[in-house]
Amino acid sequence: MSDTSRRLRDRVERRALTALTAATVAVLVVVFYYPVGTVLVEAVVVDGRLTLAVFADLLRDPFYLGEFARLFTGEGPVAVARAVAAPDRRLGIVGFTAYQAVLSTIVSVALGLPAAYVLARFEFPGRRTLRSVTILPFVLPSIMVAVGFVATFGRNGTLNAVLSAIGGPRVDLMFSLEAILIAHAFYNAPLVARVTTAAWESVDASAVETARSLGAGPLRAFLDVVAPQLYPAVLTSAALTFVFTFGTFPIVLALGGFELATVEVFVYRLARDLQYAEAAALALVELVIALGVLFAYLRYEAATAVSSRRARPLPRKLLWPDAWTPRALAERAGIVTYAGFAAVVFFAPIASMVLASVTTADGSLTLDHYRFLLTRQQTGAAFQVRPWPAVRNSVLFAGASAMVALPMGVVVAVITTRASRGRSLVGAVAMAPFAVSGIVVGLGLLRGLVFGVEVAGWRIAVAGSAAIVAAHAVAGYPFVVRTVAPGLASLDASLVESARALGASRARALFDIELPLVWPGVVAGAAFAVAISMGEFTATVVLATGTDAYTMPVAIERFIGRRLGPATAMGVVLLIVTGVSFLVIERLGGEVRDY
Amino acid sequence: MRSVTTEAEPTRPGPDVPIAVEFDGVTKRYGETAAVDGVDLAVREGEFFTVVGPSGCGKTTMLRLVAGFEAPTDGRVRFGGTDVSGVPPEARDVGVVLQNYALFPHLTVGENVGYGLRFSAPPGGVSREERIGTLLELVDLPEMSDRDPESLSGGQKQRVAIARALAPGPDVLLLDEPMSALDARLRERLRLQVRSIQRSLGITTVYVTHDQEEALSVSDRVAVVRDGSVAQVAPPRTVYRRPASRFVAEFVGDNNVFEGVVAAGATSPEGVAPATGGVASAAEAEPVENDSDGRQVVPVDVRDATLAVAYDGGSAERASDEGVTTAADANGTGWSGTPRPGDRVVFCVRPQHLQVERAQNRLRAGVESAEFLGETTRVHLTWSGRQVVLSSEEPLSGSVTVGFDPRDAHVVEHAAPDGTADTS
Repeated sequence: MSDTSRRLRDRVERRALTALTAATVAVLVVVFYYPVGTVLVEAVVVDGRLTLAVFADLLRDPFYLGEFARLFTGEGPVAVARAVAAPDRRLGIVGFTAYQAVLSTIVSVALGLPAAYVLARFEFPGRRTLRSVTILPFVLPSIMVAVGFVATFGRNGTLNAVLSAIGGPRVDLMFSLEAILIAHAFYNAPLVARVTTAAWESVDASAVETARSLGAGPLRAFLDVVAPQLYPAVLTSAALTFVFTFGTFPIVLALGGFELATVEVFVYRLARDLQYAEAAALALVELVIALGVLFAYLRYEAATAVSSRRARPLPRKLLWPDAWTPRALAERAGIVTYAGFAAVVFFAPIASMVLASVTTADGSLTLDHYRFLLTRQQTGAAFQVRPWPAVRNSVLFAGASAMVALPMGVVVAVITTRASRGRSLVGAVAMAPFAVSGIVVGLGLLRGLVFGVEVAGWRIAVAGSAAIVAAHAVAGYPFVVRTVAPGLASLDASLVESARALGASRARALFDIELPLVWPGVVAGAAFAVAISMGEFTATVVLATGTDAYTMPVAIERFIGRRLGPATAMGVVLLIVTGVSFLVIERLGGEVRDY
Repeated sequence: MRSVTTEAEPTRPGPDVPIAVEFDGVTKRYGETAAVDGVDLAVREGEFFTVVGPSGCGKTTMLRLVAGFEAPTDGRVRFGGTDVSGVPPEARDVGVVLQNYALFPHLTVGENVGYGLRFSAPPGGVSREERIGTLLELVDLPEMSDRDPESLSGGQKQRVAIARALAPGPDVLLLDEPMSALDARLRERLRLQVRSIQRSLGITTVYVTHDQEEALSVSDRVAVVRDGSVAQVAPPRTVYRRPASRFVAEFVGDNNVFEGVVAAGATSPEGVAPATGGVASAAEAEPVENDSDGRQVVPVDVRDATLAVAYDGGSAERASDEGVTTAADANGTGWSGTPRPGDRVVFCVRPQHLQVERAQNRLRAGVESAEFLGETTRVHLTWSGRQVVLSSEEPLSGSVTVGFDPRDAHVVEHAAPDGTADTS
C-alpha cells in the first residue's frame, strides 16, 4: 500500500469513531429529541405564548391526579394523605397507572424470583435452554400477547373451556386489573428471573463456604452472604418493570379498554381527539415520573456496581435428588406447583392463540381464519389492512431499523464503557428512549417530520415508512447497548491499548479486537433490534394510520373484531416470521466462538 | 585492583548518546491527586531504563504517558526531541507489553505477533510471515504460530507479548510489570532473556516494576519513584550503594538506617584537642578526624553511642547523579558539604556490612529472631530499642556485639541543626 493511501486511511479511521458518535447523536436528535420536544413544547406553548395553564389545569384535575390534585388546589398535605388513606379515594389516571405499575412489579418479582432460584441453584436437562427462553417474552409483540391473553382468559377462552369441561364456574378476567397484572407479569417476571439468575450465578461459593466455616447455618449464610448480592439485581429488575409497566399501552388498550386506562392510553386518546396540548402535558407528567425512577435506579446501579470477576459458582442441586428427604421433597413440591402456575401464565397465552387460530367458537378445527387472511389479501379494499403488505413491511422495517440500531447501540456501548469523560451524560441521553412514551415519539415524528418542518425556507418531510424505521431503531438500540456493553465492559482495557500501541486506530481496535470478542452480544443485539421492530406497536400505529406502511402488529389490532379468529391467525403469522428472523440472524451471526 | 573493573557498570549508553524519550516537567493529575508530579527524565537511545517504586507511586502512569494511553496534565513528553504529548498511541512507534500480556484471545499466536504488521510494513523488507517467524524464534517459541494463546503457559504468553510488541520494529519497548504474574524462578530466567533480547536488538526499553531486585538486575539505569516524583536516577550499583535519600535506602534492598547528630570533634584536623576557651568554638570546628587507619571520619551521636562515619570531602552532585559513575563515585560517602557539630545526619549501613565482633562502631545488641535464607541468615537484632538487621553466615543467639567499617556507612540526609537542608 502506498504511503499516501495509508495516511488517508489512517485519517479516516482515526475519525471513524467520532463520526459514528456524531451520526448517532444526529439520529437521536432528529428522530427522537426533536420530535419529542415538539410535542412536549405544546404543553407549555399555547397560541405562541408560554404558559403553564395547561399544566396547572391538568395537575388540579382529580380526573388525572385523583386526591393528589387537591395538593395543587391548595389543600394541605395532611388532608390529602387522609383522603388517600380513605377507602373511597380516587386515584385518577396517573394514580391508577402508578398503582397498577406497583402491583405489576410486585407480581412480576413474586413470579420471577422462584424461577431465578430454580435456574440458578438446580441442575436439570434443558436448564440452559430454559434460561435462554426467558428472553423470549420480552421480545414478543405486545399486541400478539394481548390477543393470546384474550384467547386464554376471555369469555370463550381456553381457561373457561377447561373450567366448563370440569364443571367449574365461568370466569371473566377480561377488562379487569387482574388480566393486566398477569399480562405484565408475563413480560416482566422473566426479566426479573434473568437478572436475578445472573447475579445468583456470580455469587462466589467460597464466600458462602467461609460464612459456613465461621459458624453460620445455611439460612444465615444465605441471608448474610447471598441475599445482599441479589438485592441489587432484584431492585434493578423491579425498577425496570415499574418503568415499563408505567408506560404500558397495547396490553392495557387490549385487555383493559378505556375503562382501565393508563396515562399512555389517555395520551393516545387525547392525541386521537386532536387535544395535543393536554396530551403533551399528560405525556410530560408521565415522562417525569418514569425518568425519576430510571434516574434513581441508574444512581443506585452506579453505586453498587461490582466489577465482574471470575467467581466459583455455588454447586447446583439436582432436580431429582439422590435422597428424598422431607426437605428435598417439600422443595420439589414447591417447584412443581410453581412450574404449573408458570406454565399457565407463560405458555397458555401462546398456545391458546395458536389453538384459537385453528378452531371455531364451538371448538371444532377449522382453517377459516387463515382463509380470511387470504381472502382479505386478494379482495381487500385499498383502505383495508391486508396481510402480505403487513408481513413485507414488518420484515423490511425490521431489517432497516436493525441496520441503524446496531451501529448506534455499539457506539453508545463503547462510549458508556470506555470513554472517560461524559460517559454518564451520554448514557442518560442515549437511554432516555426507554422512558419516553412511544405515543409521544410517534406523534412527534408524525407531526414534526412526516408532515414536514420548514428549515431556512426548505420544507423537509420524510416518508411515513422512514419515520417508522427511525422510531423502531430508536426503540431497539437501547437493547443493543444492553447486550453489547456488558461484554465490552468485561474486556480488559489493555487489549485495546495493546492494539493501539501496535498501530491500530481506535476504530480499528474496535473492529479487530473488541467486536469479535463480544460477537455473541452483537448478534443478540441484532436479534433484539429485529424483534423489537417486528413487535413495536405504539409508535407504528400512530405513524401508519391512514397509510399503507402498516406492520403485522397493526394488522393484528385491525383484525380484532367481533371474532378473535383472524387476529389470532395474524398473530401466528407474526410469531412464525419473528421466529424465522431469529433463526436467520443466528445463522448469519455465524460461527460464534465461545469465550 | 580487580575490583575496579568488576565494580564498573556494564557497558551502557554514555552521556553522548542521544535522548530517546524525555519527560519535561510532566504532571498527570486525576482529579485532585497527582499520580505523576513534575517529573523530568531522559532515557537514552538503546538504554534499558527501569522505573521502580512501591505500588501506587505513579510508575505505571509514567509508562502510560510514554505509550500515549494518557495525556499529561502539564509538561511535555518528547521522543527524540519531538513533542508527542498529543500523539495517539498508534502513531508513536512504541511496543507495549502489559501486565496481563493482553494477547488477543480470538487470534492465534502467529496472528497476535503479526497484528501490528497490518499497519506498517515489516522492517527490513521481509514478508509478514518471515517477520513473525523471526520473532517467534527470537523469543524461543518457534513452531507455536498456530497455537491458541489460551493454551500457552504464563511465561510463553509473556514471550508472545514481547514478540508481538517487537514485530513492527518499534523505537521504544515499554514493559509494565511483565513478570508479576509469574513464579519466582521463572521470573529470574525470563528477565535474563528479556535483557538479552534487548541487548541484541539495542532497543530503547522502559521497564516498570515494583520489584527492586528485578530493577537492579537488568537495568542500565534505574529511576526510583515515590509519590509521583523521582527520588533518584542512577545506575543500579549507585542506587544500591549511594542511595540519594532515606526512602531509596530503605526501598532498595535491606538497610539499617541510623539518625544522629554530628558530635563535637574530639580532635581537630591538626590533631590538637579543641581546648575549652580556645579560639574556635566547638560549634565551628570541623569534627572530621582520622581513624586508626588514617582515614577521615566524622563522629555521630546515635542514641547512646558515638559512631564513626567516613568522610571523603563531600559530593555536591550526589542527588543529580545521571552521568558516568566511576568506582570512586560509587563509594562516595554522601556528605553534602562540611559536617559541623550539631548537624542532623541520617546514614545507612547494609546488613552484610554489619559484622560480629568488629573492632569499630561496636553495638551491643540482643538477637530477636533469625531467618535462614539458604545462602545467608538474616538476623534481627534489637539495639537500644530499635531494629537492626544483619546478614550472617551462621545463626546467632543471645547477646552479640556487632560493628561496621565507617566506609560502609552512607549518609542519606545531612542538614544544619536549624532545619535548613544542606543537601541540595
